Amino acid sequence: MNEMEKLTEALGIQLEKQRRSTVLAAFQPIAQEIAKLRSLDLTDVHPAVVFSPVPTSQQE
Amino acid sequence: MRENPVTRPIAELSGDLRLGKLTSLDLVENALDRITMLDRKLESFVCLAEDARDQAAAADREIAQGRWRSPLHGVPVAVKDNYLTADMPSRAGTDAPGVHFAREDCAVVAKLRKAGAIIVGKTRMHEFAWGNVTPPSKNPWNLSCVPGGSSGGSGAVVAARIVPMAMGSDTGGSIRIPAALCGTVGLKPTFGRVSRAGIVPHSWSLDHAGPLSYTVADSVHALNAISGHDPKDPGSARADVADFTAALGQPLTGLRIGICLNHMFDNNQPDVDAAIDAAIRFYRDAGARLVEFELPILAFGLGAIFAIELSSSTAYHSRNLTSGAVTGFTDDVRTLVEMGRLVTGPDYLKAEQLRRVLIEDLAKVFADIDVIIGPTCPLTAWPIGEWTVRVGTQDESVLAASWRLTYPWNLAGLPAISLPCGFDRAGLPIGLQLASRPFDEMTLIRAADAYERGHDWKDMRPKL
Repeated sequence: MNEMEKLTEALGIQLEKQRRSTVLAAFQPIAQEIAKLRSLDLTDVHPAVVFSPVPTSQQE
Repeated sequence: MRENPVTRPIAELSGDLRLGKLTSLDLVENALDRITMLDRKLESFVCLAEDARDQAAAADREIAQGRWRSPLHGVPVAVKDNYLTADMPSRAGTDAPGVHFAREDCAVVAKLRKAGAIIVGKTRMHEFAWGNVTPPSKNPWNLSCVPGGSSGGSGAVVAARIVPMAMGSDTGGSIRIPAALCGTVGLKPTFGRVSRAGIVPHSWSLDHAGPLSYTVADSVHALNAISGHDPKDPGSARADVADFTAALGQPLTGLRIGICLNHMFDNNQPDVDAAIDAAIRFYRDAGARLVEFELPILAFGLGAIFAIELSSSTAYHSRNLTSGAVTGFTDDVRTLVEMGRLVTGPDYLKAEQLRRVLIEDLAKVFADIDVIIGPTCPLTAWPIGEWTVRVGTQDESVLAASWRLTYPWNLAGLPAISLPCGFDRAGLPIGLQLASRPFDEMTLIRAADAYERGHDWKDMRPKL
């Protein structure tokens, strides 16, 4: 088992070998864009999602 | 009765229906005739309502009795296949075995029916709204080209003048891209303006529902019918709903038009750039003020929308991944759904942080402008089966290029519209995109309607 196979197994991602190479290849250009996002320092920015403890049916 | 009345805009049809010069049954028969005649070429309807004539007859009786409901009363329309309907099956563009959807009307369909619209059928979409090709639908302007997507069927049937309005959904451009490629109007309202309850989700915080139509006014009539708060959609806003027709027929004087110098004009086909330049000159000459600005954060937008869209889609399809139903998806969509598991939790939240920065940066921009102008797509419709095209100075993936100028307004949730602004040298339509402040559809419509009135693009029709 190589490192990539160990990683996908650790993440619980079950993919047949053939599918794994297809998905990983397609993901490469997207991973490059996500890498740009990771390079940003947004430490002090609250994400654009806000948790609410109120049930959806009771929200004003 | 004039020939092919259904090819006329809703405002005209509605007037004639109220005066008894036209019946809804005439219109529905005309729409069904055109489906029979044209859809064998376009392959853009997936289902027709068996009781469309009965619905039309009922509308005629109500109108004759003075119980007119709205400008949509008696007008045939269509909805995308991810809008659940009680009277027609929904497939969300998939043929995968083991995937089923409820037979009930989604919120928008219920509102359209309440407004008196006759829903004659459902339009083809890219599977689960995960693409912008919509096979096997064809572009009415050139049957060897794609109509765009994911609401490609809605774009094709409106462009072919089969129905004056068809609903689409837009997660990264899926209303505006087919509108641009097919030469129709496509309106993505502000996130929260229109309920998505009962529309098959793709990415909860990016999905928007909106119309494609012959004219800006036609989209406005649809928007008036479908807007409003819905507790069944957690993203639905409690925003005031005005009569958006008040924005029609207004002058442009004093309007501030923003031109984003980065991203929006980085690499477009020359004919697209020329058409947008002409549109900008139109606004200037009509009394609007042009304001240039930059939005550097857009350089990080693609990673953000991929992180959100992939992880959301994969979360939605977890049942299909577990059951193995995903093996019945088309290869491209299956790959994307499986791929979402590679996006990490921190990636997703960082994307949501990026969105917050984008929203704040846009708020500063909108202090000095009212509307942002640019192309809808960097390219016009491309040949079916081609995955790489020449865009500007480089060969580019059509999938990557086609949504580059639309997804920023999904990330920010802004209202945005695409409307025809010319043709390229091959005779394919070009789309002009406008965006405005959140919940300021009034200004958006004012700007779009004024442009449309100043040109005759809406009268151009494909020869089918």
